[in-house]
Amino acid sequence: MSAENFKLTGESKFGVIALGVGVAGVAASVAGLFIDHKTFYFAYLVAFMFWMAIALGGLFFTLIHHLVGAEWSIVIRRIPETLASAIPMMAILFIPIVLGMHDLYEWSHEEAVAHDELLKHKSAWLNPMWFTIRAYIYFGIWTFIAWTLYKASLDQDGGKDVTEKMRSVSAPSMIVFALSITAAAFDWLMSLDPHWFSTIFGVYFFAGSWWTTLACVVLLSMYLRGKSKLGEVMTIEHYHDLGKLMFGFTVFWTYIAFSQFMLIWYGNIPEETIWYKHRWEHGWQYVSMFLFIGHFVLPFLVLIFRASKRSFTVMKIVASWFLLMEFVDLYWLIMPTFTIVNPDAHHGLHFSWQHLTTFVGIGGLFLWFVWNRLTSASIVPVGDPRIEASIHLKNA
Amino acid sequence: MSMETATLKQEHRNGHHHVYVPEPELINDKPRFKTITDIISGVPEGKMPRLWWILFGISFALMAMYLAVITYLIWKGIGIWGNNTTVGWAWDITNFVWWVGIGHAGTLISAVLFLFRQKWRTSINRFSEAMTIFAVICAGMFPLIHMGRIWHAYWFLPLPNSMQMWVNFRSPLMWDVFAISTYLSVSIMFWYVGLIPDLATMRDRAKPGIRKTLLGLFSLGWRGGNRQWRHYERAYMILAGLSTPLVLSVHTIVSFDFATSVIPGWHTTIFPPYFVAGAIFSGFAMVMTLVIITYWMFPQIKQIINERHIDNMNKIIMVTGMMVGYAYGCEFFIAWYSGNPYEASIFIKRATGPYWWAYWSMITCNVIIPQIFWIKSMRTNLAVSFIVSIFVNIGMWFERFVITVTSLSQDYLPSSWKYFNPTIYDVACFVGSIGLFMTLFLLFLRYMPMVAMSEVKGVLPHANPHHPDHELNGHGNGHAHEQHRAEKVAELATKNGGR
Repeated sequence: MSAENFKLTGESKFGVIALGVGVAGVAASVAGLFIDHKTFYFAYLVAFMFWMAIALGGLFFTLIHHLVGAEWSIVIRRIPETLASAIPMMAILFIPIVLGMHDLYEWSHEEAVAHDELLKHKSAWLNPMWFTIRAYIYFGIWTFIAWTLYKASLDQDGGKDVTEKMRSVSAPSMIVFALSITAAAFDWLMSLDPHWFSTIFGVYFFAGSWWTTLACVVLLSMYLRGKSKLGEVMTIEHYHDLGKLMFGFTVFWTYIAFSQFMLIWYGNIPEETIWYKHRWEHGWQYVSMFLFIGHFVLPFLVLIFRASKRSFTVMKIVASWFLLMEFVDLYWLIMPTFTIVNPDAHHGLHFSWQHLTTFVGIGGLFLWFVWNRLTSASIVPVGDPRIEASIHLKNA
Repeated sequence: MSMETATLKQEHRNGHHHVYVPEPELINDKPRFKTITDIISGVPEGKMPRLWWILFGISFALMAMYLAVITYLIWKGIGIWGNNTTVGWAWDITNFVWWVGIGHAGTLISAVLFLFRQKWRTSINRFSEAMTIFAVICAGMFPLIHMGRIWHAYWFLPLPNSMQMWVNFRSPLMWDVFAISTYLSVSIMFWYVGLIPDLATMRDRAKPGIRKTLLGLFSLGWRGGNRQWRHYERAYMILAGLSTPLVLSVHTIVSFDFATSVIPGWHTTIFPPYFVAGAIFSGFAMVMTLVIITYWMFPQIKQIINERHIDNMNKIIMVTGMMVGYAYGCEFFIAWYSGNPYEASIFIKRATGPYWWAYWSMITCNVIIPQIFWIKSMRTNLAVSFIVSIFVNIGMWFERFVITVTSLSQDYLPSSWKYFNPTIYDVACFVGSIGLFMTLFLLFLRYMPMVAMSEVKGVLPHANPHHPDHELNGHGNGHAHEQHRAEKVAELATKNGGR
């Protein structure tokens, strides 16, 4: 099996379109920044977290794949590896968040901190300088892990024996990953409401992130099947397994979301329940209900059937739905805090055209980067010694 | 399209995959199917070794003491324990959670690892399923005896007509009753369904008599036909699917016993997954302890449960130990981050207050000691594995003790702060429950096939239809090429002198 067979040659069109759309999106977003910077930064954070979630999920996919020595996912591995390799670009795209901190995070307002005992207490952790340094520590860690594994994987295509190396890199990386994704979720999302706290929040963000990446892998691989020989090695059996994981992690996400909700509801302590109260008034209750139905009930009912997981059409629809729901989830996490830094704004849903422009802008650049990487190497890790077993995967 | 991929595609379309990819051997010395039957069935068919009798004697004595202590406890009331007005829950709930936690490994191994296609689980699943059932029995004892008036135990059940009222459905303790009884029944069902083919094997080997009759009765007329296997495998898959959410739900609800309250150190959102990870951690540690004790009694088992299994189990112990460590870290961070003075105070007191020794025992045993498993030679070393598993058992007991007692002994009202001192009866109940557990476990070894023979055979390399030796075992199932098969038959015929 040779790498040449699985190269996307002369397929630069997708990348060009993505770049074009991305640049147009960024231009429109910049216009948005000047028109209404308050809305811009919130919309930007939602969009940024969405694509970041996919990249981080890709990193987790790669790590867990190596750690458990999975066979079935070898033919798919290059896709999550590539998604993760886009993390350094996300580090650049994080700059607007650093610049717009004042419009996003209440704890960055010196006058607010001065009058608030809790914020004063937290300022050792939540202050602009340390927040920025931390963010770039996370990006540094993730980039290092993602690029080390990506590079090793390409070396393997060239015939180098790196299986053990990839596994031994993944073990400590998984620990660092778990800690850094938790801290990032605390910093970037939880601290939007700086008085509120939840120990499970890091796991919640992780659950959604990995869930979305599974869907993204399904969609990307389906697109690649039409463009390359991927379809010869990646069969419905692999989609069946991806579907099982999508089903399992639909339940896992719900389990984590429920654990958080249920314990806060039952404990009924105002400093904790306020977070859910904000999401149960001024129209937000409909988003909350939609999240429950769309992020759990519908995927659960569809994916529980074997036939759905073994249908390209159904998998394509479900995976697209997953992406939509992750966006809704992040929107639901982030947007209700808009009135914390903008007390005069109205409390309802804020759906602005800027959500679209920022989403398309970041997404276009992200996909352009990913596509460039995909076209520069084989889309299947052909050098993996166990690839035959992966190709011949069969569900009992 | 290259020739290679073209062939692959063609083969795939035909649904034939005659590629045999050798895997690392799960079983030592490449035994034939019969060797496995002989080793496993041989244990209950033969005489028990001296060590078995010694352990059984000790365990039985402890169990007898347990019954005596329980009798006295019910006679006298739970005042004989060290519980006081401040610490109303102490060793009883610690023991309860500890045992329920241990009872998680069985279902994890039989259900979750099954769904994840982890073939190595076949050597240890029977074992840990049995352990699960016994651990849940031990766990169930503690809420029962904590009631004091054990004859009112049926008040746990929603019996509106006879009681003229409902139980309190809002109480997580009530959900525990449902969760644990469901878990126990599904675990028994899973265990029993898995046992059927093996009981039939033992029946076929038994000499006529009461043993054969009983084995015949419980193997439900199993003949090992194609249709029976098909039904069996479907049932097994369904039970695995049903049990997986149970693995999560039981310890989730146990965590709710604490987390739904507003006691500092109890009310935190990470409790459900944290408790589940801890349960798997302690369960695997107990499986490890028992496997190694079984090695001492029946060294022939080493052929079936080998270094690879020990290695894998130790990896899971290390991973789940770190998950628990992650939860400790999150709790500590948020205790500070929240700015809640009660929360912060309880965590600082855990580490530096009157129970500092319990807290640091927990951290040492659960987070620090398992780190030795980063070294591969340590993961496969039996002495090290045994010692670490004991430390984890101790550490997980301390975890529950720390959670329960530190939070209760110093809560919101300093005037009612009290230190908890266990009495001899606390210790006797705990040690006695270990006696009950070990007695049941040793009886299981004495009477039952301790490893799922049929499943282990299924993962042997020559059970794979694409393995070159497959037909030699006489289990060809028609997947192989007819021509290839004919060749093999001819070859066998020549070997057998043309018969």
